[in-house]
Amino acid sequence: MSGDDVTGTGGAAGAGPGRGGLSRRLLARMIREEWRLQAELFGDRFALFPLVVALVGGAGFWLLTLTGTSAEAVAAGIHGLVFFFGLQVGTIGLVGRDALRDVLGDTTLLVFSARTLPVTWRRLLAVFVVKDLLYYSWLFLAPLALGYAAVALSEGVAPAAVGLLWVTTTGAFAFGVGTSLTLAGVGTRSRAAVAALVAAVAVGVVTGRLDAVALSPYGFYLDPSVRAAVTGFGPALALLVAGPLTFQPVGGGAARSTPNRYSRLRSAIGDDRGITTRTILEVARSSGSVWKVLFSMGVLFGVTALLVREVARATTLDPSYGVAVGTLLGLGAFTTYSWVTQFDSADEYLRYPVAMDRVFAGKRAAYLLLSVPAGLLYLALALVWVPAAEVAVGVVVFPLVAVYVYGVTAYVTGFSPNELLFDTPLFVAFGAALALVSTPLVVAALAHGQAPTTANGVAVGVSVLAAAVGVFLSSRAGPRWHRKLR
Amino acid sequence: MTAIETHDLTKRYGDATALDGLSLSVPEGELFGLLGPNGSGKTTTIEILTGQLDPTEGTAEVLGSDPVDDALSVREAVGILPEREDPPSFLTPREYLQFVGDVRGFSAADDRIAEWADRLGFVDELDTLSTDLSEGERQRVMLAQAFIHEPDLVFIDEPLVNLDPIMQAEVKDHMRDYCERGNTLFLSTHFLEVAEELCTGVGIIRDGELVAERDPRDLAPDEELLDYFRREVEPAAGDGAAPTPDAAGEPQP
Repeated sequence: MSGDDVTGTGGAAGAGPGRGGLSRRLLARMIREEWRLQAELFGDRFALFPLVVALVGGAGFWLLTLTGTSAEAVAAGIHGLVFFFGLQVGTIGLVGRDALRDVLGDTTLLVFSARTLPVTWRRLLAVFVVKDLLYYSWLFLAPLALGYAAVALSEGVAPAAVGLLWVTTTGAFAFGVGTSLTLAGVGTRSRAAVAALVAAVAVGVVTGRLDAVALSPYGFYLDPSVRAAVTGFGPALALLVAGPLTFQPVGGGAARSTPNRYSRLRSAIGDDRGITTRTILEVARSSGSVWKVLFSMGVLFGVTALLVREVARATTLDPSYGVAVGTLLGLGAFTTYSWVTQFDSADEYLRYPVAMDRVFAGKRAAYLLLSVPAGLLYLALALVWVPAAEVAVGVVVFPLVAVYVYGVTAYVTGFSPNELLFDTPLFVAFGAALALVSTPLVVAALAHGQAPTTANGVAVGVSVLAAAVGVFLSSRAGPRWHRKLR
Repeated sequence: MTAIETHDLTKRYGDATALDGLSLSVPEGELFGLLGPNGSGKTTTIEILTGQLDPTEGTAEVLGSDPVDDALSVREAVGILPEREDPPSFLTPREYLQFVGDVRGFSAADDRIAEWADRLGFVDELDTLSTDLSEGERQRVMLAQAFIHEPDLVFIDEPLVNLDPIMQAEVKDHMRDYCERGNTLFLSTHFLEVAEELCTGVGIIRDGELVAERDPRDLAPDEELLDYFRREVEPAAGDGAAPTPDAAGEPQP
């Protein structure tokens, strides 16, 4: 086969499927596999997930319009968040069979069958990506667009614009997946090249030489023309093609030796049981290293800053950047939670003479050590245009909300935060718990212009209370999961 | 002295019974093999005895401790090699063994790690990320983590899987030496020839029930453990199932 796959153009009888036929059949099987995987993990109730996305999304958009935020600003925020979600999905899909096994148990997916089937891993990966695009576009982005439609149509937005939003958010998702894919692909060959690529794009955006909006599907949403279609979808398409072309499977290269960092890190952070040390090393050595924490916080920071600016522009309100950014960064620390629990399972710790509450305490330390410095860095960046007093409130709010998010996530999901994606009751419970804290904080942020002292007091008070609840919940997470697992 | 004692150990998941009234006694110094077809309850037994899973009914005592009420003491005293588990992908074997030392509450000094790496043949891989190790190398690291704290009792689910013939021989020698020093090994395996060669006692489990116990050394000269195993686990003729083969593999009425 010379490393190539079955094409059906030759063969003894010439009866095999052609390239397109093979890919279509693989795609159909991968979609069925994905459905069965979700059904196996969460039961049939995950089928309700699109409905919940539509309802929660619609409620969220409605609340934003109550604050005076325009439907267009909401659309901009959706594109940013969906791009970020695509980045996440692309990264998880690419960390390899080991990490997938850590997350899902002993699972073999079709995408990993290049060693046993006469199909190249490049084709498998490309079909896998198309499957992800179709799957998330229909199950997640279409309901999101429906939720948006319910609000946007009443605001006078044309129905065509809602359809366009679905197309361009699918593009934004593809852009995110393609970016992750390509960076991971290039990273399997040269980490320096990844750093150079990221630096070049960052310099281009900061200096204004690269128009990030025009080069993204959001550009086409703003200006639906042929030219904007080419410039808006072109980069996403190019990245989706470049990813599978550059990617080399993990483990396919030479064995990587690494100096012993464990002892030094463990001593530096005073970690007696080693759980925090192990977790930080695993996050740091997996795809994207600790930069993925910084990057995810950066996207949230950017989206929040944009939304706050839009609210200030569209209304007479003068929202507090500090409270808004602190709240959103704290909520966004959820992604760090998923990373610190991605590489091991709670079952493993049942083999060691260590109580589960100590395991969760170790994970919490890793989570805070990774997320808090990243969040504080962005709050420091906000000092460029936000008064120091406002940022100071954000510096208080952010870590306290992060502690709350840790407690709720650990208690509700244990070591499987990704279950939230498709377990509808769990998703609703988790969303309600976050709304309980984020709603008064967002109100405090919006009311800041009218009564700054009260707003700051409420924000700090709610955050302190939330952190106390978070500490309590994380102390109960160990015993709860100990009981559930045994 | 008894290393493991169980009485009517039962585990149910809803209507399904994974373990059905298991009563077992394993003396100290024994190399005990728990044998059985797939899904017969071997892994469930190990998980209950090591305090990873609570039984629905019955009692157990492992090295004098109750794995239900005092799971941490049991886990501290024993070593565990689970089936199909790899060392953490993004730690090196050296770092992983240091972590195992820390989480077990003892210091896995470099010389002890080096000694086990030497014994199990992965010295050259000590500083290689585990994700880059071969299946066999990962299994050796997992064996090391089960023994590195020198416990009195080790539970092993398929010890020789993925090991090359030379390493298999060395691991077998190690297991024999380990038990000759008065320690106990509780082995779960599908490799009957390994059980026949190593074990000083075997238990055969079928559908969660212990159906036979025997010292393989007491088998008749013309009898193999496989024949004995078949007789115990295959449904008897007359149940509408296939006839049981005899020692020569011929079906019996």
